[in-house]
Amino acid sequence: MKPDNYERNHALAAEYVVGTLQGAARRRFERWMMVSARVRRQVWYWERRLQPFNESLPEEVAPRAVWNSIEQRLFPATAPVAARWWQTLTAWRWSTGIAVLGVFALLLWTPSPPVVTHYVGVVQSQQAEPLWLVNASGDQRLSVKAMPPVQPADDGRDYQLWLLPESGAPISLALLPTGGARLQMNLSDQQVRQLLQSRSLAISLEPAGGSPTGQPTGPVVYQTRLVQL
Amino acid sequence: MAKADDGLVRALARIAQGDRQAFAGFYQKTHRAVFGMCLHLLRDRDEACDVLQETYIQVWHHAGEYHCDRGSVQTWMMSIGRYRCLDALRRRRHEADYDSVSDRQESNTLGPMDNVGNLLDRQRLNHCLKDLDERYRSSIEMAYFRGFTHQELAVAMGEPLGTTKSWIRRGLDVLRRCLDT
Repeated sequence: MKPDNYERNHALAAEYVVGTLQGAARRRFERWMMVSARVRRQVWYWERRLQPFNESLPEEVAPRAVWNSIEQRLFPATAPVAARWWQTLTAWRWSTGIAVLGVFALLLWTPSPPVVTHYVGVVQSQQAEPLWLVNASGDQRLSVKAMPPVQPADDGRDYQLWLLPESGAPISLALLPTGGARLQMNLSDQQVRQLLQSRSLAISLEPAGGSPTGQPTGPVVYQTRLVQL
Repeated sequence: MAKADDGLVRALARIAQGDRQAFAGFYQKTHRAVFGMCLHLLRDRDEACDVLQETYIQVWHHAGEYHCDRGSVQTWMMSIGRYRCLDALRRRRHEADYDSVSDRQESNTLGPMDNVGNLLDRQRLNHCLKDLDERYRSSIEMAYFRGFTHQELAVAMGEPLGTTKSWIRRGLDVLRRCLDT
């Protein structure tokens, strides 16, 4: 590695944050971060820039046992502080309320650029092998890229993509490509609304040419959920 | 720095001085986002719980090392958790299925860590991703959201290893140039 190569360092920092810098190269880079403030700053740059990826993921409350384990490990000989959480929560509630009001005030005063929404979903096999990559954007376009391992189904059947609305029957969207091919289509206004509400898609195996009834007739073999970026 | 982050910075300062009450409040306030990310990356609830625990042990010991060059407190927290997830994935390559993560709940409410800065960052990233070559974008998304290695990307996309390496590298380079404009 050449410590003074700024562009190369940036590339390594990016791959470190994304996670594709692996093995010995990753460990070497971590040692390098310890001695170079400049390299650390480049890593922080990428952490900040890609943080919106993390914010697009759904939050989830962890089991209470996790906090109990943390307390037991850090403070094994003393009583837990959990009993007084309500005090902390109350304080947070007030500070949160004030902060949220501040954000609203800022939003009112800050001219917003046009909102560009982007959704992504990976349809995977039971072995977590990616099969189709689904991208949807707020301008009604939906694209589906079939990964090369996806081969045409047996018996000449087709994979059919369905939108699963929050209520009501599945809505047929398209017959899916296989073997690395890509499909691009436009959704109707109503389909966009329903997709944004449920973000749920399913894939069934249907007779060649698609379901003859307009509803899934074969087995639903995969499901996925889109996450918003 | 956004107002919403001020409270978290103050909490970290108190944690660095050994304030357990502040630590409990900090955990309550921040753990949902970290845990959600861990679940998404690891697809294994028990493993996500372990990583979450390790993440906050690290926060307790290193709270004083946070500074604003690291980005928001949330960015710092998520980075700690993300690297621990990547370590876990290295030890155990993609065994769990997406659907094993059940009962997810999406929060549509405005949380204390949402702020105008975050919104603009997200819009900028979305804008740049939209303009990115699809092969580059797919590679980056699969690596970031699933922790795929170069080799796994090559197999998944049916391309030579050198090609997917090149896609990631070029994609990130194009992304940086767009984000910096």
